[in-house]
Amino acid sequence: MGWIIFVAFLQTATIICIAPFIQGIIKKTKARMQNRIGSSVLQPYYDLIKFMKKDAVLSLHSSWLSVATPYIVFVSIVTAGLFIPTYITNNGLSFMGDIILVVYLFGIARFFTAFSALDAGGSFGGMGSSREIALSAIAEPALLLAVFAVLLSSGTTKLPDLIASLTSDGWSWFSPSYGLAFFAMLIVLIAETGRIPVDNPDTHLELTMVHEGMLLEYSGRYLGLMMWAAQMKQLLLLSLFINLFFPWGIAASGNVSQIVLSFLLYVAKLVALGMLLAFIETMYAKIRLFKVPKLLGSSMILSLMAILLRVFE
Amino acid sequence: MFSFDRFRHFLTVKTLINPLDPTFPSVAVQLPAANWYEREVKDLLGLRPQGHPDPRPLVLHGDWPEDLHPLRKDFPLDQHAPRVQSREAFMRYDSEDVTEIPVGPIHAGIIEPGHFRFGAVGDTILHLDARLFFTHRGLEKASEGMPVQKALFLAERICGVCALSHSIAFAQAIERAGNVTIPPRADYLRTLFLELERLYNHIGDVGNICAGFGFAVGISQGARLKEELQQLNERITGHRYLRGVVSLGGMRADVTEQEREDIYQTLQYVKKEFKELVDLLLTHDIAINRMATTGILRLEHANDLEVVGVAARASGRSVDIRRDQPYAAYDRVHFHVPVYKEGDVLARIRVRIDEVFESFSIIKQLLQQLLDGDIRTNIPNLTPYRSAMGWCESPRGETVHWVMIGPNQTVYRYRVRSATYSNWPAVPLAVKGNIVPDFPLINKSFELCYACCDR
Repeated sequence: MGWIIFVAFLQTATIICIAPFIQGIIKKTKARMQNRIGSSVLQPYYDLIKFMKKDAVLSLHSSWLSVATPYIVFVSIVTAGLFIPTYITNNGLSFMGDIILVVYLFGIARFFTAFSALDAGGSFGGMGSSREIALSAIAEPALLLAVFAVLLSSGTTKLPDLIASLTSDGWSWFSPSYGLAFFAMLIVLIAETGRIPVDNPDTHLELTMVHEGMLLEYSGRYLGLMMWAAQMKQLLLLSLFINLFFPWGIAASGNVSQIVLSFLLYVAKLVALGMLLAFIETMYAKIRLFKVPKLLGSSMILSLMAILLRVFE
Repeated sequence: MFSFDRFRHFLTVKTLINPLDPTFPSVAVQLPAANWYEREVKDLLGLRPQGHPDPRPLVLHGDWPEDLHPLRKDFPLDQHAPRVQSREAFMRYDSEDVTEIPVGPIHAGIIEPGHFRFGAVGDTILHLDARLFFTHRGLEKASEGMPVQKALFLAERICGVCALSHSIAFAQAIERAGNVTIPPRADYLRTLFLELERLYNHIGDVGNICAGFGFAVGISQGARLKEELQQLNERITGHRYLRGVVSLGGMRADVTEQEREDIYQTLQYVKKEFKELVDLLLTHDIAINRMATTGILRLEHANDLEVVGVAARASGRSVDIRRDQPYAAYDRVHFHVPVYKEGDVLARIRVRIDEVFESFSIIKQLLQQLLDGDIRTNIPNLTPYRSAMGWCESPRGETVHWVMIGPNQTVYRYRVRSATYSNWPAVPLAVKGNIVPDFPLINKSFELCYACCDR
């Protein structure tokens, strides 16, 4: 029992602490690819510290919802972190739930974010939340389908079991369906982290915003919490992606040296994947809003084909 | 004032107005382009157009007293206007399905103030009200009584990015009033700097349009090349935005042999890099997809509203005052005026791209032809109450300055018609039927500046 609590603590602390670092890596990579020097990879930490020190200004029209939402969002994302393996297979609460719970925890965070954006009655918040909900109606099933396409190989919805079976299978895991699921998941990853070509995290054009549009009414520590939560969600999705497709090296036992090695490997994989995302973001431009469902639709079709292939094997 | 490009002549229609009943029959229904002008005359001079379709104030906002007309001579420059109950009105929608989205006047980016009110069904734009003139500076009023030499600096400060076009248009008006012919070398230099101004604007705009769809490579390359050109401007003239290079009767800044070589070398480099950027941009599927068929300005609309500049040429309206009413040395160089028919964002970016290459060619010809000689002559004593006009094709389109000389070499009356002023009314027509998230892209493709209206 003590071990589980220790692992859960370690996992949560890791997610909370390295999420801004990965954001920094992505930003730095993008800057370098655009011939800019860019800010330090530690800049997201400085930003968060700055936001946490600041007082928040709230609209007179907003209700308790605007105050509660940042905490709800932050907590639900941290909780989701306890179900996704990062660098230790047996993480904190995985005996309590599986990937479906993770998707719903993300759903709670999204629901409250969209609701609080409507709360103050600003026009951009309303636009952002209506877009976010419309897109998530497709993005959520696409995420589930992509994950299922991989999970089918081990016949479980519990991620630790899947990873155990993947790592023990050697090279026999590879199949065409796995490749299809990889691309399906990559598309979902881009959509869920709010990156180009779906959303533009760096834009100052309020009219084009999706996720950022919902945060416009927030300031100070509330904004800090929301941004931190978004960075953690990004980290969790990256971790999920890594452990679905490249789980090798993850620590299966409680050996300290193995955990340290696994942690270093995990960070290296995160950095590599973050750079890949930055690369995609630099190469592509934002697609027209109404084309996003088509992109997510193609992700779903890829997943479906992966599932079919798996079933007929 | 009408311009007959084919005969290279202007025609001015004048009418006498009874001072006791300052009204005149409106022509805004027959000539939609006159809409803004008549509203402005009503606001600033109190001349009331009879039968005008849109009674709302234009330049002065609704909270300005209705009977105070700042351009009248009995209105002192330092008079303070009390605020009154606002008469501002926007389109009203009866349907519950229409969402009104107010945007601005303060925006998230560092841009000038403008209030946009969309009536949208879902994300599709039904109607757009654009409220501008938030920072009208009254420069025309301020210039009255100012010595013409000093007013040149005022004209230069109308707009940051077309500073040179404004100063040259003003200088031409004064020179025409004084019957001055400027030395040929000054003509060439003016043309050279005008094209340098066009280059840094167009290349910067191509990069800026990329920001409309988040194409990072385009944004950063555009910004970098614009910077190269602005640094060139600074090396040659000492000012990145080409301020202070013109004087009445010629030029203040000259180009040495060494600087000529510098211009040549820098432009060679920029041309090569810009070509790479253009190839990348025009073969990028998403970029083309975002730009094509977005924000179409139809030729009828462009003709009705007398749209000028890049926006006109992208909609199939072949106007370019460099060719139609040549000034400076434009009649001594060869260039082609690109015209596209589609009228969408893609056509506007293509016009800019083509014009960039035309500018490279014009500058090359100028550097070869550049004559030796004086760069300035003196302005004689100007006859009071004589009026004259100067014009210039700024990067945004034709800019026209009209000046009436006052006693002792001062400005008596001054009116600036920038390209932006002609083109703003076309933007709401171009965005209709597009989706709200495409508006920033469409707006960027017109690249209208607010300061040119808020003169």
